[in-house]
Amino acid sequence: MDRQPVPAMAVTADMILQRRRGKRYTQAGVYLILCVLVLWSVQVTIIEDTDWARMGSLAEVWESTNRFIGIDFALFKDLIGPTIETFMIACLGTLLGVLLCIPAAWFGALNITPFKPVTYPLARLMMTISRSIHEIVWALFFVAAVGLGALPGIFAIAVRSVGFIAKMSAEAIEDIDPGPVEAIRSVGGNNLQVLIYAILPQILPQVLGVIIFEWEINIRRSAVLGLVGAGGLGLVFFRQMNTFNYHGVMSVIIAILALIVLGEAFSHRVRRAII
Amino acid sequence: MPSNPTPGPVRSSQLIWSRYKYPDTLIRYGAWLVFFVFLVYSIEYLNIPLDRLIGMFGRMGDTIANRYYPPDMAYIMDHDYLQYVVETIQMAYLGALFGLLLAVPLGWFAAHNMTPSKTFVYPIARLITMGCRAVHEMIWAILFVSILGFGMLPGVLALTFFCTGFAGKLLAEEIEAADMGPVEAMRSTGANLFQTMVFGIFPQIRVAVTGIAIYTWDVAFRAATVVGFFGAGGMGWYLKRNVLQIETERVAAILVSILILVMISESISAWARNKAMKMK
Amino acid sequence: MAILTVTDLHARYSSSGPEILKGISFAVEDDDFFAIIGPSGAGKSTLIRCINRLVEPAQGQIIFDGRHVTELPKRELRTLRRDIGVIFQEFNLINRMSVMDNVLSGRLGYTGNLRTLFRAFKRDDIEHGLQLLERVGLIDHVDKRADELSGGQRQRVGIARALMQNPKMLLLDEPTSALDPKISREVMGLIKQMATELKVPCLCNIHDVQLATEFCNKIIGLQDGYMKFNGPTEQMDEAKLNDIYAMEVL
Repeated sequence: MDRQPVPAMAVTADMILQRRRGKRYTQAGVYLILCVLVLWSVQVTIIEDTDWARMGSLAEVWESTNRFIGIDFALFKDLIGPTIETFMIACLGTLLGVLLCIPAAWFGALNITPFKPVTYPLARLMMTISRSIHEIVWALFFVAAVGLGALPGIFAIAVRSVGFIAKMSAEAIEDIDPGPVEAIRSVGGNNLQVLIYAILPQILPQVLGVIIFEWEINIRRSAVLGLVGAGGLGLVFFRQMNTFNYHGVMSVIIAILALIVLGEAFSHRVRRAII
Repeated sequence: MPSNPTPGPVRSSQLIWSRYKYPDTLIRYGAWLVFFVFLVYSIEYLNIPLDRLIGMFGRMGDTIANRYYPPDMAYIMDHDYLQYVVETIQMAYLGALFGLLLAVPLGWFAAHNMTPSKTFVYPIARLITMGCRAVHEMIWAILFVSILGFGMLPGVLALTFFCTGFAGKLLAEEIEAADMGPVEAMRSTGANLFQTMVFGIFPQIRVAVTGIAIYTWDVAFRAATVVGFFGAGGMGWYLKRNVLQIETERVAAILVSILILVMISESISAWARNKAMKMK
Repeated sequence: MAILTVTDLHARYSSSGPEILKGISFAVEDDDFFAIIGPSGAGKSTLIRCINRLVEPAQGQIIFDGRHVTELPKRELRTLRRDIGVIFQEFNLINRMSVMDNVLSGRLGYTGNLRTLFRAFKRDDIEHGLQLLERVGLIDHVDKRADELSGGQRQRVGIARALMQNPKMLLLDEPTSALDPKISREVMGLIKQMATELKVPCLCNIHDVQLATEFCNKIIGLQDGYMKFNGPTEQMDEAKLNDIYAMEVL
């Protein structure tokens, strides 16, 4: 493949260099704006807002950090109960979330939503609300509504996780192979039968994976709900903090980490087995 | 599921069909049994008042209708409050930015295929990302508040730690999924590890990194609205004050404002993400 | 004089895995276009990758340009790799970068980290890149992204990138097996022409025997990690080919 007479060097190194330089100037401009924005934020949030006198010198900060180094081993036997509680809140919350997600996913999947103009946007709105509010806010809300204890924690976890599970399930439903649906319809199946025989088997592995993934995150969440009065390890953390038992605080953190690591290992195993 | 490997003439005994064969049935029913026992036991253990559960929703509705409605909208339109909103945004912005900046080297070191040293740097980077992510952002906030005092600095730090772990893990996964062909090509030109990263990996993950950055911002902003609850600055501090003073209508208004802000932020980032994906 | 001498080379992918190369010895002279043929799975790619240690050899000696390749520390290994251009089967271009940037990436071994970060290559490099792109017939595609090109064009970018290094030798890892026969011939012709012109010896790993006999002056035949043949192309005949490819027929 010979090229015909080459048009005397259409591109020169100068052109390329110049273009690159121009590009670099625009890039530099963008970064400059970014830097100004950062510096302004730093000025407002960190330099002006911080009570530097209260913080004191670096040595004092180091000293207050040092208070946390160490573990209160005696506390561990009192942590077993709350750890189990946290675990159970995560499990029950996920379970309730899964139950709530069935109607949400049904309404939120374009291909099976019963009455598109109403149910679809409604379901999508619920999913967004559920996902966009932080679990602590949900917990505050439910503590205010049903009182202290494990129950508001379960509600908070359930409501917080329903959005993600429902969104992923709805997407899975939208992606199904329509063949089996037609097959079940053609043997005279009604909507429910289509759901159970044609849709559910197709999305089950995927949805199960999502649920386990969310369960793993829920353990992490349920460990802090106690901070606002919803039981579990968070409550102990709060108490240790308020009684200035900093080594106890570290013990609670270790318990949380252990629980999370276990959950992660388990979820990793199960998800691999499913997929 | 065990399958019958010997296809042959159908014997009469095979005509009796059941959906699940023997060891399967045992596992299945056993699993359901364990599940229900666990369910009942945990309800028992957590002292959940099942009998009051139904009535609870009615009372919940009453409480909301009587005490939280109408939200005190004038309160959140207040100049002071709006300033806190801006500061919350700045806090989230800084936390996400610092977190991302730290996550870039950390994600690189924690990616199995590109890490400078598999025996030394890799496990450490792995441990740091995991630690940062496993500890909930609220716990980070409380710890930093107790060390540094009230204000936004502990909030920014808490968000930074959390975002580092969050983005670092995603980044490492992205690097591990990259095509190693260009990496091999760069290596064979005599490029060092850094150059291989810049030319071999980064162009491949650029779009994904944009996505991760937007996602991190989402998470950071959501958390930033609440870290103030534990003294780390921003809107959360207002929330805390009004919860303590049982100013329920104001609490409702603040919750509404959080909801609106997060939804605005989410729709902007959804739009940006779409835009970024189209850019390829 | 031999630019590359390989003696008794053994290689395996993992320390416990099966041996992929079982004692290979050959030498590449200054003006050779050296072909490695053999059925797939014979270890051709591994052999090529051992030369610049993309794969670590388990045992044996490789001497390139007077340097003991297997003993070089990291930094010197990079200088060695600068001197060996590699053209890959799947091109291994950076798809999201422009053709020019891809070609310039051949100079990374000579470029500092800061310049790399800002892609600020030296003026000489850019001029060299333009010359090479003109030679391989891509001067009109300088600013296109690599993934907009056709297969043959991409491999031309690969050639330009390898030559950007001013290599003392080229390693070709099945440079044409991802291309259709007509384009394959063109690309091989181009490589051969450039190599002769620049006086760069080539070590070429190739599946297509036809192409090997046509373009190469020496051939080694691999089968299952063993060397079955080593000699000038003229000595290669039907019987020996059948011997080398016997495994594949099975």
